[in-house]
Amino acid sequence: MKLQFDLTAVTLAEFGVGKDNDDGRVYVYVPADASVQQALREMAVETWNAMSANSKDPDQYDPSEKHGGIEHLYLPLTDAMGAGMKALHEAVNLTPDTSVLADPAAVYCYFARFTDKKGNRLTAVRRATQFKGVLANHLIRWVNDALKIIEDNVFKLDNDFDLLIDGSNIHILRPSGFEFVGQMQSAILEAVPINIHVIQKDIGFVDFDAIGTYAAKHPRAARYLASICAQKEYRNIDKRNLKKLCGSTGVEFKEHQGKLVFEKAHVMGFLEVLDRRRYEIELVKDAPERYRAASRQRIRKSAGGS
Amino acid sequence: MAGHKEGLKAARLLMVLSSVSPLFILWAIRGTEIVPDIYFLTFCALMVLAPNAFLWLRIETAKKNKDMRELVVGVAEDHREHLLVYLFAMLLPFYADTLANWRALAAALAGLGFIIFMFWHLNLHYMNILFALFGYRVFSIYPRDDGNALSGRLNYVVITPRVSLSSGERITVHRLSDTVYFEARQ
Repeated sequence: MKLQFDLTAVTLAEFGVGKDNDDGRVYVYVPADASVQQALREMAVETWNAMSANSKDPDQYDPSEKHGGIEHLYLPLTDAMGAGMKALHEAVNLTPDTSVLADPAAVYCYFARFTDKKGNRLTAVRRATQFKGVLANHLIRWVNDALKIIEDNVFKLDNDFDLLIDGSNIHILRPSGFEFVGQMQSAILEAVPINIHVIQKDIGFVDFDAIGTYAAKHPRAARYLASICAQKEYRNIDKRNLKKLCGSTGVEFKEHQGKLVFEKAHVMGFLEVLDRRRYEIELVKDAPERYRAASRQRIRKSAGGS
Repeated sequence: MAGHKEGLKAARLLMVLSSVSPLFILWAIRGTEIVPDIYFLTFCALMVLAPNAFLWLRIETAKKNKDMRELVVGVAEDHREHLLVYLFAMLLPFYADTLANWRALAAALAGLGFIIFMFWHLNLHYMNILFALFGYRVFSIYPRDDGNALSGRLNYVVITPRVSLSSGERITVHRLSDTVYFEARQ
């Protein structure tokens, strides 16, 4: 996967931070001099190098997967889960705020926006952990032949960003950073009614009322729903096969007026079945085994079975 | 611009002083009988040179530090008429004052102080006849409604050699203050 941006031909670098205030989360522009801009450029290069070293053919971000600390993933900018990051990437004329760093506790991320010679734009975002982490430390420096405490607020840039956003994709290096900055948890919970509506249209023979109520309060169930929707795993589900897999993997249901009704205790099991996480194998004759996969990946034919 | 705190207060004050510097040129030419020329001319020269030197320094510092950002034009308004207002509201009334006695001089300086404060307080520090002399125009840029809740809603002032700015145009500008930006001639 290529980055739709030329990191060797940056013509403009802007810095900003995301902060919590009474209206929720906002992003503001903070002026930065040439040396900071250079450091931000180096961070972006380092991020892309780390992504390329991790995987040149990244998988798409899947909200139901348990991703590693550092894992190169991508998410199309058109995906609803990336709406928050897309809005940041496309926002213009961000409000300048030269006093925002006076209240470092409110800062939850920092970002840089780059423009290259061709006019392509790249947004790079990092969760502000280390950035304000040094504030609590006693920093000292050598002044007039003696060590002195640095009284001013000092901030520390990291070596790389958590994610890069170009014209088409969100390139993720740290999935946890992406989920935190993009407020993925709340976005996924908010998206439950929409996702239920989408799935329900294709799987009309399942009663989704109880499932929707359950998922609205349980983030993992909401993540499964988001994953099922994102991967379009709800399409062409065969009722008989679904009943068979549910039965063989211990997911109980009742049938009422032609619809499958799942009790609260079996909602997660049903979602795991739909998300291809619950399965049965029979390598030993007459001794079927049931498994639940914490992580799963579709085997691609072109990958030679690996 | 409600709710936004404009930074660079000292810089804006010096830019306001730069914008009123033509008045001191006129006063220096005219002179006053109550203050010896050596002092009055020195004062006027200082009031002309120091703020304008600062303005030049501010622009050069912004260029050197690459203190730049991109602005997207929503609606742009050319404010050439502001210079006329400036000329008639400030230069001519003050120039008409004869400064013939200490009370007249004190009143003129007090009046000037009020105007400087108003220019500084209302962020009118872009109102500078020098920009017009060097062929720059002053535009007010209003944001466009792009449906993005994160896009800024502030109005900006852009000093540019361009004769017009069209809606949707992206311009790269140097920061003179948080709301006043300068586009250098290519």
